[in-house]
Amino acid sequence: MKNDLWVEKYRPTLIKDVIGNEEAKILFVEWLGNKRRTKKAVLLYGPPGVGKTTLVNAAANEYNFRIIEMNASDTRSEKAVTRIANPATSFTGLDKFSSEIKGNILFMDEIDGIAGNEDRGGVNAIIKIIENTRAPIIMAANDVEIEKLRPLKKVCTLIRFQPTRIPLIIMALKSICEQEHVKYEFVALEKIAVNSQGDVRSAINDLQGLSEEGKTLTEQDTLALSLRNKDVSMYDTLKEYFAVKNIADAANLLNYSTVEYDDLLMAIGDNMPKRYTDTVKLAEAYDFLSQADVFRGRIGIEHWHLLKYFYNNLAQAASVDPESYKPFEFISPPIRVITLFWTKSKRTLLTSICMKIGVQCHVSKYEAKMIFVPYLRLMLQQRKKANALAEWLKLTPEEVTFLTGLKMF
Amino acid sequence: MVLLNQKGFKLPRVEKEKFMLLLRLGLDYNSQQTLYSIKNYNSIHQLRDTLQDILKSEIAFTQTCTICNIDFGCSTCNYTKFCPTKDLPFTCVCNQCLRPKKNLQQQKLF
Ligand SMILES: Nc1ncnc2c1ncn2[C@@H]1O[C@H](COP(=O)(O)OP(=O)(O)O)[C@@H](O)[C@H]1O
Ligand SMILES: [Mg+2]
Ligand SMILES: [Zn+2]
Repeated sequence: MKNDLWVEKYRPTLIKDVIGNEEAKILFVEWLGNKRRTKKAVLLYGPPGVGKTTLVNAAANEYNFRIIEMNASDTRSEKAVTRIANPATSFTGLDKFSSEIKGNILFMDEIDGIAGNEDRGGVNAIIKIIENTRAPIIMAANDVEIEKLRPLKKVCTLIRFQPTRIPLIIMALKSICEQEHVKYEFVALEKIAVNSQGDVRSAINDLQGLSEEGKTLTEQDTLALSLRNKDVSMYDTLKEYFAVKNIADAANLLNYSTVEYDDLLMAIGDNMPKRYTDTVKLAEAYDFLSQADVFRGRIGIEHWHLLKYFYNNLAQAASVDPESYKPFEFISPPIRVITLFWTKSKRTLLTSICMKIGVQCHVSKYEAKMIFVPYLRLMLQQRKKANALAEWLKLTPEEVTFLTGLKMF
Repeated sequence: MVLLNQKGFKLPRVEKEKFMLLLRLGLDYNSQQTLYSIKNYNSIHQLRDTLQDILKSEIAFTQTCTICNIDFGCSTCNYTKFCPTKDLPFTCVCNQCLRPKKNLQQQKLF
């Protein structure tokens, strides 16, 4: 069973098992059950991984609707949309007398895909279908702000989905752990849930990725998560970091922050002079910061147990003089801006490269990024040396392309 | 901070126009019990602003625990800082249900 994807294995088939978004669920079920719908179409929208698709299938199942699915992402033209959709919408009579099936529902999932750049036609076709059909139509989208979908908003009932709450996700993870006989530290589940930012799918995927048979899932196992986290705003972390009232608050904040350690360290270092205008306090804070840096270096990619000292020192640096706190504007020098605003996949690539450098050259990821990467890029651009170097560092072709293509340094 | 239970809460008398606005924004009014409740959540953010305006105070909605059904405020939650939705929507899991062991130690900081 090892190859089963837990997100599929544990995909709820009953409405009640779809966690969170109770209000949205109620609205949707009301819409589905109401024969005199004011609008024939409904659009479920909200972030990915919160159960939109799951809910539609579970509800259809419970209410005996037959779903005619149409993948909007595959649909590129009005013709195609019409071809797929029309049979479904004109069938409705067929099942009229069947007691089992209440009727067909047309389900267009991920309709944001239909609003690809070229074709306004797709959206127009959908609107036509909505106008001309009898069957209820369900649509789901991850991003309803897309300009192209705007006309759709007028012709359907909108139901908004929110990110799923952390405690609800923890409960879901717990339940999966029990069914999979995975032992866990509660903190580990907390970390996974917090890191998911309300995306149940990614939380379950992370859980599966981190658990190993016969091993207890520990907090330490989850540390790798922050290396490939989502693009949370560094800004929020900094804002809270510099405003903490005491060391415990700082520690707590850092403990849960999903910002990458090295980025955080640099950003804190840069902004410290703006936080402490008193030079004595500033020196004190920098002392802690350099301690943190030392630990960060020693952590490398193996000694994760040192991470708490890293955090401890960062927390102390934040709480040297809580009374003196006044809001200030953060500075973010170019190099940081670059890495912070990169997409997750680019950051993951860089992280992986830096880890490989770290392993071979016995340096921290931070040093790898700041000192090695710029040179490595130049060296890799010289054809002759490139292959041997890439091989030695065990870089993948993708990583080499990425490095040589870097413009920023 | 005023904590409102979405299933029923009182408001000071409001003018007719305000009252209509509240209904439009999703409130239901039970005139016998003189209680408001939330019927539709689609304009919840506007509704919250309007309620804050009427009550001249920040408001928060109670949460209902999906496991034990009690109503509780988010102030007791350990994850408020990371909560992607603050006190909306209205269902969550209370602390007791989340950590069934009685004195499960708060995470050690260092
Ligand atoms: N609310 C939820 N309750 C339980 N499981 C969920 C929920 N949301 C997502 N999941 C899990 O994540 C997977 C993907 O969810 P999905 O419904 O496709 O999300 P969406 O359509 O909102 O992107 C599901 O198979 C399920 O395992
Ligand atoms: Mg989906
Ligand atoms: Zn409870």
